[in-house]
Amino acid sequence: MNCQAMRELVSDLEGGELSAEAREHVSKCAACRELLRDARVMQAGFRALAEEAVPEASFGFASRVIRRLHEWQEQGARQEFFETVGRRFVYATLALTLALLLSLVLPTSGPVRGVAGADFLGLQVESQSSQPDVIGGDLGDSHDWIPARQPE
Amino acid sequence: MASLESEATREIECIRRAQRGESEAFGPLVERYQQRIFAIVFHLVRRRDEVEDLAQEIFFKAFRAIRSYNFQSSFATWLSRIAVNHCYDYLRKVRASRITYYWEMTEESARELERNVESPQPRGLDHGEKLRLRDFVGRLLARAPADDRVILTLKELEDFSVEEIAELLNLKSSTVKVRLHRARKRMLEDLERWRQEGK
Repeated sequence: MNCQAMRELVSDLEGGELSAEAREHVSKCAACRELLRDARVMQAGFRALAEEAVPEASFGFASRVIRRLHEWQEQGARQEFFETVGRRFVYATLALTLALLLSLVLPTSGPVRGVAGADFLGLQVESQSSQPDVIGGDLGDSHDWIPARQPE
Repeated sequence: MASLESEATREIECIRRAQRGESEAFGPLVERYQQRIFAIVFHLVRRRDEVEDLAQEIFFKAFRAIRSYNFQSSFATWLSRIAVNHCYDYLRKVRASRITYYWEMTEESARELERNVESPQPRGLDHGEKLRLRDFVGRLLARAPADDRVILTLKELEDFSVEEIAELLNLKSSTVKVRLHRARKRMLEDLERWRQEGK
């Protein structure tokens, strides 16, 4: 057995006895003797640590945990409410903004809505004067989808 | 036997109710497992003043995650896993300062202690020696990397089997064995370094 093998062996010793071969090596090698002593120190130290008294839960520990859970649940419910309301408010604001933007942008983008856009821009009067509405009369709304007839 | 069964049934009932959000039902589970969690936390963290706070955080975390418990492993194992992970995170955050490395023992008393320990039955140590030894190995453990500390604590202090550790840490048994071996080796090397540094 060499020192490297001894090192591997000592790491897994767990308080067991050494083989005859290992004992022989240890008797001749001072470094491995020291290593073995360290391993025994560690094992004894672990045992001493394991024997140390574990602190006990103070009186009412479980009740405090449950109280904290209650608080968390209540807080969670409140938070959830505000989150839901807040989320809806944000969605509503977004929807309104979008609608406003669409009303500004869309009218100028198509032939059908072109007139509506024109209405919006205050050009309605001009449109009506050039194309009197057959249905609504002179003062009525213009309906571009009905072909306008020429007045007789 | 019947009592054990009824206890298990009660536990399952409590878990199911807690999974439905009934925090009251979690109380008996806390009472049943608090000492186990205290032991794990204390052995891993080794700070008496922190144990209760950490244990409370662990139970809090467990309640929040209880819907994910699927009865595949025992509740004790599931809860212990949360405790180990929580302590692991804590240890990574609060790494022991290098100051804790130094051992307040004189070289002479250290040698004497080692000579006593060298005997195959180190139970023969007196109380003072045990305290010093405990302090020393505790300090060595405190400065070990979090991975080593967790695995060594579970094995050496909590006395879990390799298989149990594997289940707790979601590892293969063979991986646990390798990690244990490496952790022990690193601690021994650390002890050697301490010796070479002349304390």
